[in-house]
Amino acid sequence: MTTAILKKTIKMPIVFTDPRLFQICALSSFLIFGIIQLGWSDQIESYFLIISFALVTQAAWMLGLGLKADTLKSGLITGLGLSLLFHSSNPLLWAAAPILAISSKYVIQWKKRHIFNPANFGIIVPILLFGDSWISPGQWGSSAVLLFFFGSAAAMVLLKVGRIDTSLAFLGTLFLLEFLRNVVFLGWEWDVVTHKFTNGSLLLFAFFMITDPKTTPGGWLARMLWGVGIALLTFILTSKFYIHTAPMWALFFAAPVTALLDNWFRGRHFSW
Amino acid sequence: MTKYKHLLVAILIVVTSIQSSAFCGFYVAKADAKLFNKKSEVILVRDGERTVVTMSNDFSGEVNDFAMVVPVPVVLRREDIKVVNRSIFNTLDDYSAPRLVEYYDENPCTPRFEYSMQESVQLTSMAINEFAPSANMVRKDYQVTIEARYEVGEYEILILSAKESDGLKRWLTDNDYKIPESAEEVLDPYIKSNMKFFVAKVNLATFKGTNSEFLSPLQITFNSDRFMLPIRLGMANANGFQDMIVYALTREGRVECTNYRTVKLPTDRNIPLFVQPEFGEFYKKLFEKAYTREGENAVFLEYAWDVSPSAGVKCDPCIGPPPIAQDLVQAGASWIANNSWNERAFFTRMHVRYDRENFPQDLFFQVTPNQERYQCRYILTHPAQGDLSCEGGQRYIEELNMRRKKEMDELVALTDWKGKYGSNYINQYENQKNEKKNWIIPVLGGSTPWTLPLAFGLMVLLIGVLNKIFTRRAATH
Repeated sequence: MTTAILKKTIKMPIVFTDPRLFQICALSSFLIFGIIQLGWSDQIESYFLIISFALVTQAAWMLGLGLKADTLKSGLITGLGLSLLFHSSNPLLWAAAPILAISSKYVIQWKKRHIFNPANFGIIVPILLFGDSWISPGQWGSSAVLLFFFGSAAAMVLLKVGRIDTSLAFLGTLFLLEFLRNVVFLGWEWDVVTHKFTNGSLLLFAFFMITDPKTTPGGWLARMLWGVGIALLTFILTSKFYIHTAPMWALFFAAPVTALLDNWFRGRHFSW
Repeated sequence: MTKYKHLLVAILIVVTSIQSSAFCGFYVAKADAKLFNKKSEVILVRDGERTVVTMSNDFSGEVNDFAMVVPVPVVLRREDIKVVNRSIFNTLDDYSAPRLVEYYDENPCTPRFEYSMQESVQLTSMAINEFAPSANMVRKDYQVTIEARYEVGEYEILILSAKESDGLKRWLTDNDYKIPESAEEVLDPYIKSNMKFFVAKVNLATFKGTNSEFLSPLQITFNSDRFMLPIRLGMANANGFQDMIVYALTREGRVECTNYRTVKLPTDRNIPLFVQPEFGEFYKKLFEKAYTREGENAVFLEYAWDVSPSAGVKCDPCIGPPPIAQDLVQAGASWIANNSWNERAFFTRMHVRYDRENFPQDLFFQVTPNQERYQCRYILTHPAQGDLSCEGGQRYIEELNMRRKKEMDELVALTDWKGKYGSNYINQYENQKNEKKNWIIPVLGGSTPWTLPLAFGLMVLLIGVLNKIFTRRAATH
């Protein structure tokens, strides 16, 4: 309601009214930040290849299936997301990852909806199939990044550009579990937990990956359950099995559940 | 254009070995000896879930003051603990330390070849005697269980498990391990995470020497899905920050930290000739600057290379003999032993400067398939000698001046060393040529949080404009 009024009274830049453009801005500024500030400049070739292949693959599907030119935006988002998270020492995989990611949208479908988050699929599958790719969860690690993620989150709430409720369900649950385990049970200090939550990869995942409306359940309750479920799985994988890239794996294996949840909660209306 | 002729010399200056150290555990004094554990070295080998940790124990002080407590995930068996020769640390350090290399310019007027070689690496290895006596530990009701007791080398080792930190603390205090006050609160999380405590003291009854410099490194082997170094305990008696060098060996590739950034130090930089005698200081300053720039909470990569016995080039240039199969096995890479020629080994050297404030969590690592080589390498270029009066020689002097100015700029950018030898150095060969303006890409400071909002703002503008152009074009079509 307020957003609608806001949008009418203040002429917002297009970037803030089109969720996908907003994502493109945010993700590309993360990438620029990483290149300038965090020393990722030696991976520029990989970013270039990943993003190009994402766009080319998207364009190919677009032409093949007669889709709107608009879909190039989501191709770019996937390319940027992959650049921010995916690492490989094999240049072939810089091309393969975006091809897999984007093609998964059109190949792996259930009831005309794609199942896997494209970037997530493009990261996990090469890791599963080929040995020479990985995720670097420690590559961010600055509080400036954290602030900006919060800024993005606030903007998303205000402008309803994403499904921020999923992010909050995920982060809230995970925070509660980590707090209970580390502070209450183990007796670590507070900053052990806050340090875990300033991890840029985790925040990127929470705000820009599981908020994708295409691969999250439609209903509010279903979405909440889904967010909580991924947080639970993440927590178990991190604290029991010491898998530091747990959220990515949790999302990958939880993806097929989206369809189930959608089925169960169909027809129910949640309004506030 | 300046031509670099021969790559001649590789000089290693081992980063100053400062005082004593504590690895993951802490050293505690029985008397009120003031201890500062500043630098330590650890070899970390990871093969699947098998982990081998070798702690250098380069503790300086009275031998009877030496005591260490290290949290370990399992109860170690006797065969999982051994002492190794200190020389393994020297081998790995010599091989992978940051390096200074020299090039010589060719005289454009009278080309000639020069070849000379010098090397300045000498670190001795020392033999260590083995001891195997006994000592007494009394067990009261501390709710501390002595899971195992071993005599290994000159050490008396106990594996403890505890129910609560207070009991463990009392036990350690009563057994002459003086525990810093702040250690107790850190013990608790480890106890609750089901960690055991590896406790080592020097067996005074049999250790002949009094010089702790001769303590041998301890090596422990265990299986665990936790690939980490428990640094928190070591912060208990540390004053300010501590430095730790981690030498990691895996089959697959580089090791990186998963909960802190692993950052490369600036490398392949041309620096002024006068840095040579002060290379150690130069590197220390460079590290310090990088440490501050990266927010004081990063792990620094100093070296990464394939050291498989069958690998061709193991360093470029080599400043110390590359580790051979035997060294790798001694360091804990036991898979090399069976079929050394076909087995792979990848070496990573990391340098972390940590303190309580910036490193609240223990260091967690992961093995990546990344086999990209990396080294910290700094380059000196000696100017051409002899008559430079020919046309080419004059051009050369001009280029030399510019190059030296760049070298000076680089030096300032790397270390903040200013004006020490500046103008003399740049003008040393300047006869009649005018200086040309030098350009350097401004390097943004590490703690400038405005970069991200600025980038975002620019992207908003750019994408907005692009979008407008595209939609307009679509509308006109």
